[in-house]
Amino acid sequence: MYLFFFFFFFFFLPLFFSSPLRGGGSNLRIVLVSLEYNPGRNNTKEAPGLDSHVNLLHIRAVGHNDTLHYLWSTLGAPTVILIHTNTDSSQLHVNWEKLLSGNFSHAIWIEPVGAVLYSTVVIFSKIYEYYDARNMADLSKTPPSDFYPTYDLADFVWDNINETLNYQMLTGELRGRNASQPFQNGSVSFKISAFKMTQRDPILPHLLHNANTTKLEFVIDGILPQGNCSHFALEMVLLEKKEFDRKLETIRTIDDEYTPSIFQMAELVAVPRNRSDILSFLQWKMVAYKSPLALREHSLPCRQYPIQRENGTTLTSRMVHAFFGDGLEDYNVFAVNVSFGLADGVFYNSTRYLTWSVLIGYGDPVKDTFSILVISIMAIGLGTPLLLLLIGGIVVCYKRRNKFSDYEPIN
Amino acid sequence: MLDGEERESDPDLYFPHMDKIAHPRMSAVTDPRRLLHRLIVLLFMCLLGFGSYFCYDNPAALQTEVQSDMKVNTAAFMQLYAWYSWPNVVLCFFGGFLLDRVFGIRLGTVIFCLFVCVGQVIVATGALINAFWLMEVGRFVFGIGGESLAVAQNTYAVSWFKGKELNLVFGLQLSMARVGSTVNMNIMGWVYSQIAKMNGGNGPSTLGISLMIAGTTCVFSLISAFALAYLDKRAERILNKEQGKTGEVIKLTDVKDFSLSLWLIFIVCVGYYVAVFPFIGLGKLCFDQIFFFYLQNCFFLPSIVYIISAPASPVFGLMVDKIGKNIIWVLVAVATSLASHMMLAFTFWNPWIAMCILGLGYSLLACALWPMVAFVVPDHQLGTAYGFMQSIQNLGLAVISITAGAILDTRGYLFLEVFFSACLCLSLIASVMLYFVNLLQGGELNLSAWKRSKQESLYAAETEKRKRLRQQKEEELAKLRPLSAFGVRNRYLSRLGAQLPDHYSTHVSALAYRSVLK
Repeated sequence: MYLFFFFFFFFFLPLFFSSPLRGGGSNLRIVLVSLEYNPGRNNTKEAPGLDSHVNLLHIRAVGHNDTLHYLWSTLGAPTVILIHTNTDSSQLHVNWEKLLSGNFSHAIWIEPVGAVLYSTVVIFSKIYEYYDARNMADLSKTPPSDFYPTYDLADFVWDNINETLNYQMLTGELRGRNASQPFQNGSVSFKISAFKMTQRDPILPHLLHNANTTKLEFVIDGILPQGNCSHFALEMVLLEKKEFDRKLETIRTIDDEYTPSIFQMAELVAVPRNRSDILSFLQWKMVAYKSPLALREHSLPCRQYPIQRENGTTLTSRMVHAFFGDGLEDYNVFAVNVSFGLADGVFYNSTRYLTWSVLIGYGDPVKDTFSILVISIMAIGLGTPLLLLLIGGIVVCYKRRNKFSDYEPIN
Repeated sequence: MLDGEERESDPDLYFPHMDKIAHPRMSAVTDPRRLLHRLIVLLFMCLLGFGSYFCYDNPAALQTEVQSDMKVNTAAFMQLYAWYSWPNVVLCFFGGFLLDRVFGIRLGTVIFCLFVCVGQVIVATGALINAFWLMEVGRFVFGIGGESLAVAQNTYAVSWFKGKELNLVFGLQLSMARVGSTVNMNIMGWVYSQIAKMNGGNGPSTLGISLMIAGTTCVFSLISAFALAYLDKRAERILNKEQGKTGEVIKLTDVKDFSLSLWLIFIVCVGYYVAVFPFIGLGKLCFDQIFFFYLQNCFFLPSIVYIISAPASPVFGLMVDKIGKNIIWVLVAVATSLASHMMLAFTFWNPWIAMCILGLGYSLLACALWPMVAFVVPDHQLGTAYGFMQSIQNLGLAVISITAGAILDTRGYLFLEVFFSACLCLSLIASVMLYFVNLLQGGELNLSAWKRSKQESLYAAETEKRKRLRQQKEEELAKLRPLSAFGVRNRYLSRLGAQLPDHYSTHVSALAYRSVLK
């Protein structure tokens, strides 16, 4: 009997040790999240000399003692600037004339100036298309000769995001086309979603997000590939102060309840040198989908490549200079490539659709935990036999005692 | 079919005059009484099952290929296994009947083998013409033949080897089944890739050709069926040997007499097997995705359960026989399997560990669970009980296969493992209940082998005593029996001094009961 109890405790222990019920990783309590399109600008007048719409989307998440500002823009390549301030009343200011002129340095600033605690930039700079002759779906093993001309997203023409903004759902879509070689009806879009609370995305890969994060859905839709055996890759460029570092980590998880059959999550985190607390992160499941329905059978593996470091001075981005100024000597630039595709002989051409989701956020990345359902099934499943053993043991003991007490003494 | 062995009448009765009719010119190979000839028969018997076991797990071996070529999700893929199980929900009851009364073992085996062949051809054709529904039809036809073929195989084994090397033969047949599954798991991927090279790429036609090639094993089985039929017929001619019979008697009305213990055994059985077989069917794909960093080729991994069970079964069988305490063994088997599933669910430990444990649990359960039925069911209901158990098991497999596929599609691997663990928990609950029910009712399921044999000898002594008492009573009655008219007349005549024939003696009947005369 005791053997059984031992068995069951043996079973219970790993269950509870292996299900660390860590919280959502939020160290900010957000009370208000709002969208703002081209703050401080009279939107009727178009900027001279620019074919593309001027898009500046300001997402402001106000906490009790601090504020998060997300600045999305298509001045140049699609860019997001993440700013964390230590007051709930920090304001974003844009000098539009300066921003759209040739001298755009410090055209964007936060007031009060000293309130900025941390800021970082993610630029989605280029889309690579390559001829996957050997069916490897691996960028690093592709010779330079197999790359088609690269799409530089800074050269794209971007639609007006204002038409796609949903102030209730906190969503918007940056949609762009290649100006020089029109891709039929195809487009590249960056769908942005902000959130008021911790919840899970309704569509695959069902990323878990909180108010500190913004979800980005990168979509290549209907672009005519330059060859029949094309795979795509996206280049991201990140800017950090010199005292901070970016690390790319692949996290294995056995919990694929929300993203069936995907067991890896990639995190690109900003950490101070010599410390391990995370300042900001990009987080994605290593999966892309080749149809708008994002069904499991339409999943494509995605693969990331090691970070390349460069000096900040090499960066020429209007938004970056508008916020950080001209002198970027104190900054490092990190470039990361993510490629999409499965080495099974099926290429982009089969569906001409590609979607990939990534979370951009401040603070610790959101950690997945075992769902309540899983935990309760295991608890009931293991608890019931244990309970039965207990009850059965008591009943048997009771009956035996009664039986023995029935015996009359012999003498 | 497990019990068929005991109830089969002794085959020595089949060879009553064998010395008289022995042909002096027959060599060892052609003489049905010689070992060498029986070995040839054994070879055909093993080949008979090989085809169906090889093809049964074809879908598991080619899961990725089937899903990508036929463009189906996992739930639809698992239908291939479900469709195999559906006919057997019913056929478990009738397989023995069909063999005994309708076809006879020889024709029956050929017919079931034909079903297997035709089924596999339909499956392959379905793949060739890219019609998944046709593949499902094929699996249904295949299922009609497959399970009944196993019954036929066992019947042949009993009829040829009873009283000789029967246990060895059963063991060999089981091993052959495992070899069939394992070879299939390890070779089909390679066959497919070779065909893909020749055929210029993946696709339904490549899959179809691969499945057709797999179907050749079924053709070998069919040839063996014909060979066995011929050899059996020949043995009948030479030795006056009867056709083998399963001897199964199925009476569905017996179900209402089944005890609580038996129902609990059924639950243990269903809960356990649904967590093993569908898992082995799905395992390859899961391991490919999760444990790719450990394993280059994990196609071998799911079949390790079968490979372990081949040598472990006889060892565990002997152990359970010697020690008894069946319920404890069942509990241990279920608990270790549960531990293995939980290991797979919640840890990244090397899956070889978990799969080996599962293999051991699986072997132990088979040895401890199936014989228990005989303890709780009277002999005449044994056929019904086993038929019912297999039927429920097949029903469970069919339902759970589809469910497991759907879960893998929508909720993922972790949830699937949790689901399998829940099934095993159910099995565990049932076995714990069985333990207490047995304890409270004073059943003999959990006795040690020593007590069991003691009880048996006690029981035997009791019956002996009772028999003797009955005999004595009869004898006393015989003494008091009034004489027949014939007897009265004879006695009268003998008193008169009339001469009677020897056999008219009135004392002869009394002499038959010497004990009375003493």
